[in-house]
Amino acid sequence: MELKKIGIAGTVESSDISIIIEPTDKGGIEISLQSAVMKQFGRQIKEVIEETMKSKGVKNATVRAVDKGAVDFVIKSRTLTALYRSADIDEYKWGE
Amino acid sequence: MYKRDINIRTINLGRNSEKQKIIMFLKDHDLLFEEDIDYTIGVYQEDSLIGTGSLSGNVLKCIAVNGEFQGEGIFNKIISQLINTQYQRGNMHLFVFTGPENKKFFEDTGFREISSVDDKVSLLENDPKGIEKYVENLKRSKKEGAIISSIVMNCNPFTLGHQYLIEKAAKSSDIVHIFLVWEDRSLFPNDIRLKLLREGTSHLDNVIIHKGENYIISNSTFPSYFLKEENTVVKTHATLDIKLFVEYICPVLGINKRFVGREPNDPVTNEYNKAIMKLLPIYNIQVEEIPRLTVGEGVISATKVRKSIKEGNMESLKQLVPMTTYKYIVSDDAKPVIDKIRKDM
Repeated sequence: MELKKIGIAGTVESSDISIIIEPTDKGGIEISLQSAVMKQFGRQIKEVIEETMKSKGVKNATVRAVDKGAVDFVIKSRTLTALYRSADIDEYKWGE
Repeated sequence: MYKRDINIRTINLGRNSEKQKIIMFLKDHDLLFEEDIDYTIGVYQEDSLIGTGSLSGNVLKCIAVNGEFQGEGIFNKIISQLINTQYQRGNMHLFVFTGPENKKFFEDTGFREISSVDDKVSLLENDPKGIEKYVENLKRSKKEGAIISSIVMNCNPFTLGHQYLIEKAAKSSDIVHIFLVWEDRSLFPNDIRLKLLREGTSHLDNVIIHKGENYIISNSTFPSYFLKEENTVVKTHATLDIKLFVEYICPVLGINKRFVGREPNDPVTNEYNKAIMKLLPIYNIQVEEIPRLTVGEGVISATKVRKSIKEGNMESLKQLVPMTTYKYIVSDDAKPVIDKIRKDM
């Protein structure tokens, strides 16, 4: 998946997460995360985001995430939506 | 109190009855509904208004929640809705102006403070590296010298007065950095103002032109400049704008001098100049005020240029602008802009 522009998904409401994905030329996925449960789950949240991105073949991107206590599948779906928006794809294959 | 009872609606700003309710609500929370607002939402519980938030360009403003409902996530609901609307409009880079007592709430939703003035106002942006990126970009045009000057101008449009001020600065400096106000609220569009500034200074080889973007007299750093408010707010905003300039911009370019054109007419610009003259020397940046260039009995100003255009007085126009600007104004390309000036003013 090729990222073309800034993609965003989610909200900053309770139990949700706001994800902003920006394409870069620099190598790697750089994630800046803000979370009230940083200490307990910070690493895990970052891992979910990174894994989701890698599963779509994205290697380079800057990610800004503001977490409000989202569970893993919310993090995953918000990341996917932000990715699709960033890649300008509006035909989702959610079943895959 | 169940959250499902709560709904958010976009306020039709064209309908006075709805708008008045928002204005009253903000007043109860010591906030003024600002005239440049282009989008407002209301949060309701059944039919009573319990919260509101607004947008103006890429700025979030006039956000308030009824005290009884604070701590129930209403604030974050408002912010989420405002941010999503901004993204739909294509505005990714957002700013908030707020009192320092509310700073924390915005920080909790992903904003970061970039500057503040005492206990009066705090400016936040949603990009954790926003201003650093701008500054990083500026750094590329850094040039060494003993006197590195700066000028901030709007050039709406570029006049002989602007040219005179820049020439004066260029003569007594090694390098002159010009920052063009980038907010697209002037009658002459951004790219035209930039083009005319470039053409009008092409004979000066020590002048470097930059876009001021979000960080120099923009809707985000200096909203009252565009609202033309005449009160203490102007002073606070001017101070914030100047702080950003000395803290972030001057160091990367090695700027140690600023030129300003004397402002005899516009009270807001005059207040801004006064703040510059007071504050910059504290940071070891010298300020030189240059009196306006005169023609006949009056000073040259962009306002006069627009007036001449409106009146179709080409003879007077010729005395106010360099040939480069004149050529543009009489060209076919300028037609839409000229029509707007004739209608607007």
